[in-house]
Amino acid sequence: MEQILATTFRSAAPLVLVATAGVFAFRAGIFHLGLEGLMITGAFTTVAVAETTGSVTLGILAAIGVCMALSALYWWVIGPLGANVIIAGLGLTSIGLGGTAFALGAIYDRRGSLFTDVVLPRPLSGITSGPGVIVSEHSILVWLTPLIVLAAWIVLRRSRFGLRLAAVGEYPFAARTAGVSPSIMRLQALLIAGALCALGGAELSVGALHNFTENMTNGRGFIAFVAVIFGAWHPIGAALAGLFFGLADAIGIQSQINITERVPREFVLMIPFVLTVVAVWLGGLWRRRSLEAEAGYAELKEPDF
Amino acid sequence: MTVPSGPAPAAVPAVRCRSLGVSFGAVRALHDVSLDLAPGRIHALVGQNGAGKTTLVKVLGGLQAPDSGEVHIAGRKLPSGDARAARAAGLAMVHQHFSLPPSFTVAEALELTAFRPGGRSVYRRAELRRRWRTAAAEIGGEAVLSTRIRDLPVETRQSLEIVRALATDARVVILDEPTALLTPTAIDTLFERLRRLRDDGVTVLVVLHKLREVAAAADTVSVLRDGELVLGPSEMSELSQGQLSDAIVGPASGADRAVGVEAAANGERQTLLELVRVSSRESAFEPGLRRIDLSVDTSEIVGIAGVEGNGQRSLVSVIAGLDAVVEGSMVLGGTEMTSAPSARRRLRGLRLVPFDRNSEGISRRAPVWLNQSALRLIGRHPRRFPLISLRQYKRQAAEAMDHWQVRYDSVTQPAESLSGGNVQRLILSREMAPGLEVLVAAQPTRGLDFAATNFVRRSLRGLRDAGAGVLLVSSDLDELFELSDRLLVMYGGSIVARFEAPYDRRAVGDAMTGALR
Amino acid sequence: MTGGLQRLASTVVLVGFSFLLTALILWISGYGVGDVFSGTIQGAITATGAATSTVRWAIPLLLIGLGVVIGFRAGFFNIGGQGQFYMGACAALVVALGWREGPATLVILCGTAAAIIAGLSWSLLPGYLRVRFGTDEVLTTLMMNFIGALVLQYLTAGPMRNPSGTGQTAASERIPEAFRITDSSGVSATVLLLVGAVAVLVWLLLERTRFGLTMTLVGRNPTMARWQGIDVRRVGLVTFGLSGALAGLAGAVELHGPGARLVTGFSPEVGFTAVVVALVGLLSVWGTVVAAIFFGGLQSAILFLPIVTDLPPPALVLLHGMVAFLVTVKLRAVRRRRTGSASEAVTS
Repeated sequence: MEQILATTFRSAAPLVLVATAGVFAFRAGIFHLGLEGLMITGAFTTVAVAETTGSVTLGILAAIGVCMALSALYWWVIGPLGANVIIAGLGLTSIGLGGTAFALGAIYDRRGSLFTDVVLPRPLSGITSGPGVIVSEHSILVWLTPLIVLAAWIVLRRSRFGLRLAAVGEYPFAARTAGVSPSIMRLQALLIAGALCALGGAELSVGALHNFTENMTNGRGFIAFVAVIFGAWHPIGAALAGLFFGLADAIGIQSQINITERVPREFVLMIPFVLTVVAVWLGGLWRRRSLEAEAGYAELKEPDF
Repeated sequence: MTVPSGPAPAAVPAVRCRSLGVSFGAVRALHDVSLDLAPGRIHALVGQNGAGKTTLVKVLGGLQAPDSGEVHIAGRKLPSGDARAARAAGLAMVHQHFSLPPSFTVAEALELTAFRPGGRSVYRRAELRRRWRTAAAEIGGEAVLSTRIRDLPVETRQSLEIVRALATDARVVILDEPTALLTPTAIDTLFERLRRLRDDGVTVLVVLHKLREVAAAADTVSVLRDGELVLGPSEMSELSQGQLSDAIVGPASGADRAVGVEAAANGERQTLLELVRVSSRESAFEPGLRRIDLSVDTSEIVGIAGVEGNGQRSLVSVIAGLDAVVEGSMVLGGTEMTSAPSARRRLRGLRLVPFDRNSEGISRRAPVWLNQSALRLIGRHPRRFPLISLRQYKRQAAEAMDHWQVRYDSVTQPAESLSGGNVQRLILSREMAPGLEVLVAAQPTRGLDFAATNFVRRSLRGLRDAGAGVLLVSSDLDELFELSDRLLVMYGGSIVARFEAPYDRRAVGDAMTGALR
Repeated sequence: MTGGLQRLASTVVLVGFSFLLTALILWISGYGVGDVFSGTIQGAITATGAATSTVRWAIPLLLIGLGVVIGFRAGFFNIGGQGQFYMGACAALVVALGWREGPATLVILCGTAAAIIAGLSWSLLPGYLRVRFGTDEVLTTLMMNFIGALVLQYLTAGPMRNPSGTGQTAASERIPEAFRITDSSGVSATVLLLVGAVAVLVWLLLERTRFGLTMTLVGRNPTMARWQGIDVRRVGLVTFGLSGALAGLAGAVELHGPGARLVTGFSPEVGFTAVVVALVGLLSVWGTVVAAIFFGGLQSAILFLPIVTDLPPPALVLLHGMVAFLVTVKLRAVRRRRTGSASEAVTS
């Protein structure tokens, strides 16, 4: 039981961070499928810079910088240049996966993984007895994650910035009428998302582990995206969804050991995805009903000169 | 008071624009528009659909960058296409479409659009409610602040849009067709509010559709036609109704050839379309049908009058087979079709000119030949060879379009590159193909220029003379009086009155406004 | 016509630009710029077996990509190719391993039919939700990918697992050699004939049938199509079904062809790459054929690269990502934009 909880928090932390990133993008109206690419870039940059400079802080700062730069590029391509959001996002993911693996070879002349001793501190690593295992193995970023989620909630749900962002995602015309540039707001949302992805990647590489491995994100960026949808693009909802995915992961790992014969692990792991399909379906129903109540909005089909 | 239309006006105009030009692809929305609006007055801007009113308003508000020309507010030049700068200069807009996000609460929406808000950028909900308490007083008190925009009634939303605009200490307020969705009482309230604004020294520019409203509200009027300013700003008091309508409609152009129509119906009089006690479900925008009885016979045009939003859209959708009949029955060409799919109805001779030709009548991005051929795509032909010849499709489309005088360069050009009148001709060329028995024409001349309007009206008459039945839904009473053999008035989803020519405008008008009930 | 030429030119420019950008990154990293090009050409064409390998990888990309083209034609964004592909492969595997003693031709035919049905049903669910409830198909097909991958994992690690298998990733037992339609190169006359026939049929369907025109109208403006009496839901379901059927077929070809067994998480990128293939192919059938061969060559080069040059294979994954990142850029958008992004165009 303690083990399951410990694994849940460890698996969930990077997911929650990246899901929060996804919430920022989603609120701005962007289906961000580049999360995976940003996350692995964050993981690699953290390890590489931390190993070189000996400072994990510098590593994380560098990762944030690189991910924000990539996010700005992504914004430029899908915004001013008009590229397809989804295709460019998938491309960003491939660039991240390929680029980090390539850089590993080009810089360190090796394939596979890169180890480092410079990792994030684990504040409670002293406690090892009894239920203490739940808390002992977690890096400082795991402890900071709830604070980050809370901050995201304040920014998105209780600040003028959040209102503007929501207007941009829901009804750009409203934003422009209010003198808000949708384009600039999207850039800001993507930059924040980039920074959060960097943190997610850092937790994965120097928080939970001691290394960077090629393709180590292993689809977590996409799962985080799913968590955003499942959490109804609300920061708290997405965080809970991320936690839920972490739990499913932990149970999956445990069931491999304990109850394999009765419930195959794969079916446990499927539950979140099936639930998400149901959630998207019901959410769509609900949204459509509310859209129908929006007389005066539906007349926006064609321009009237 | 003199009208500052010439050079060197006495006072600095509140709004001045010089040589504005805007084009959307091949369509010229605005051409060389120069306009000075004197401060502290209510200015009306009128013109037909597509005359460029909304574009001009958007340019003034910085939501649309003009291709040429400039805008000055109170003597200061605005950077082009910068909504923020326009707001900073004291210009507030109330749009034709609602401009507040539906999922926001009223307080959130006010906070979003507030130009110079006080307080910190992070808020608590109670704090927001406190801040906007005064503004909310005008729209139903503090309780409304926690309501979501989408749950507000239409009038309240409209009021909120105005409150929002004024919350920014605006010196110039521009309202784009604010009366479109309002009831007559709400319109009076709105005009009263505008007069109060004027008396406080605010300059008001309001886009209006109906001359009656212009007369009721405006001090001066300006007229746009085909993207050009053809009149004004002129004092309302110095202008006759006739001068104004001439300016809006423009000179009559030369007549063009009437088009021959083949209709399937022949000889004796019979009922082509019959609705018996038909009811349908209401939609978000309109009441559903309430026990409608209606028939269209051979060789007649039946007109449907009514203030928009009284069930006309439901009626056409039900006949087309897009909305379900809840109760009652419908017979088309002698066949029971109450729940038949729309394809079967079309194959049985039902043809449609839908309300919104650009979104319902054509596919803007599809080539014109495909738009023209759409009728050939429905129905099954199990015995025919499955492969088709595109060349044949294109040739036949071109022939039909030539017959209907559609002006196009190539059959493969997208339909959006056609002008409004040509789009309507394209639709007619498709819908009036052989086999037609009943044509349902919804607002067939809306937004068309004089020549195109005449063309459409003549076509409808030709259709009747050839023996077909026509159901004409229009909000243009003159058109209905001119064309209809019989006239039915819809109100609240029911048919409340039936008239025969000659028509009494007053009686029809009373029926339309529900005075009969 | 000029619109088509413009799009072709813009795609060529963007793909070329992606190559240059990747070359620049490699040059900065100390590799020869020429290596990208020579490595790609050797790995895709000139090295022994490279050309065959290119075709082998082009086949699933083409089949799934054609499905994407069909979906786009009617206005649907099916990114569930991966899951449909997996489900097709799984269905064929169940048939082949469940009926080892059956006559080869019959088993292959049944397996292929099962694969088509599996792929079809895997996309019909999102399709049904889309046409009936308006549920966003990008999200649902993405979820179905994950579920499909887990089904594959379950089969290869559970009931169909090869007990004597070694190595890290679980794999199924091999299907009998008689059930294969190619050798391990993945290319044979049968397969080429099959894929060629499919491409021609899809082209005829899209460009020379009334249903193809109907799909175009639905894709361009479903409201207008409804007013025209077109059954938009039916068109949508058929489109989704065809799209998934092609991906399922690709799964059967993979199993009966080069695979012979299924490995957990095999070809993990093929579904997304197929979307890029369809877009690079300008959503036309023959364009998709060309693009599939191009990306098949890239995939082949990734595998051959360690043999022919010292360039690390991830460089080509990077190139691949660069192409996807840039290929949908609207070069005309570089000019002054008027209406903002597409989502705002409705309000302008």
